Amino acid sequence: MSTLRAHISDLLACPDCDLLLEHKHIEHGEKACCPRCGHVLHAPKRNSVDKTLALALTGLLLFIPANFMPIMTLDTMGFMQAGSIFDGIRVIYESGYLFVALMVALTSFAFPLVKLSLLFYVSLHLKLKRYPHDLPLFMRLYKHLDEWGMLEVYMVGILVAIIKLHHMAHIHYDFGFFCFIGLLFVALASSVSMDEHEFWQRIEDRSV
Amino acid sequence: MAEMTADISPKDLSGSEIITAREAGFLLCHDCHKLIADKGEDTPERCPRCEAAIHRRKPNSITRTWALVLTAVVLSFPANMLPIMRVDFLGTADYSTIMDGIIYFFQTGSYGIGAVILTASILVPGFKIIGIVLILLSIHFKWKTWLRHKTLLFRAIEFIGRWSMLDIFVIALLQTLVSFGNLTSIETAVAATYFTGVVLSTMFAAITFDPRLLWDA
Repeated sequence: MSTLRAHISDLLACPDCDLLLEHKHIEHGEKACCPRCGHVLHAPKRNSVDKTLALALTGLLLFIPANFMPIMTLDTMGFMQAGSIFDGIRVIYESGYLFVALMVALTSFAFPLVKLSLLFYVSLHLKLKRYPHDLPLFMRLYKHLDEWGMLEVYMVGILVAIIKLHHMAHIHYDFGFFCFIGLLFVALASSVSMDEHEFWQRIEDRSV
Repeated sequence: MAEMTADISPKDLSGSEIITAREAGFLLCHDCHKLIADKGEDTPERCPRCEAAIHRRKPNSITRTWALVLTAVVLSFPANMLPIMRVDFLGTADYSTIMDGIIYFFQTGSYGIGAVILTASILVPGFKIIGIVLILLSIHFKWKTWLRHKTLLFRAIEFIGRWSMLDIFVIALLQTLVSFGNLTSIETAVAATYFTGVVLSTMFAAITFDPRLLWDA
């Protein structure tokens, strides 16, 4: 049996099934999938650092109005009641459900904010070609928090609430509503534009 | 740098003779996916690129995943049987469970929204629990068929996990917006805590599970 001595940098392994594969160059817009289990190994993005930086910054600017400005006002026979995302956390806390309030606070508020901040910090430093020693830590933190930010689930929650309430009251959509939709799209786009593989490679090479 | 290389026949890399990173003497960092040479006792404890702890497989994956999925099963009972929402209307309190809420939507003709809540609150948690148990049993009994589909099932479980929080977000919004003093108000009720517990434990079950164990069997 003829063997070749492959260098470790020419190889990669599938995180889902451990299949050892040869590293192949793929173009932007293409994606490499594991031939055995179908896991997407790498999907390079064009201008990943620039896009991620711009989107994370936009997200951070939208964050305060999206969470603290009222998203809608309910009008029932002259009684008006406005509410923001942050109010949703406050009312659950005030009715004594600390665990539920904590989970809502983390998934709809804290984690999306931390995720955007981490992306901003990491992509800004990669853009400026600076490599502080905490970049790997922040990259790891981002990876672990990724699925815990639930803005898109909250958006569907807003739609369900609208459908449930529109029979019994008149609904005014406030400034926070549009900021939240903007934040949702920007946050989604930022996590799509972030090319994990390229970010890690840049941190490792400390160049490009 | 002899330890940085591995003997691999060209056939292996073309996929006709399957070889895994473990068989070839490599470890994969869980966090940054860097390939690291497995040197037994001498393997570094931390990834040289991202400093995450390195393991051949996620530690105690099967035990932890069983514990979390069983927690989810136990919490599912109070989450579904106790009321999750209290509606006060002109002084009378009306408690409703998750299922009551869904039935209300179907009775009032909001089929679409009823289907969305039914999917997020009942079908998704059920699918997650049954799916993970199936995968764990498959590893326990070393069923070596349908591996690709079981991996796909696991990825689906990972992906949909977060959507179960939907009902909790809806209640948070309703409680914020519908609070007109004695006239009418909506409040969170006790099942919300258990339901959030189900979401949390199933999400953690997906995190502690290592899908490579399916292929190791």
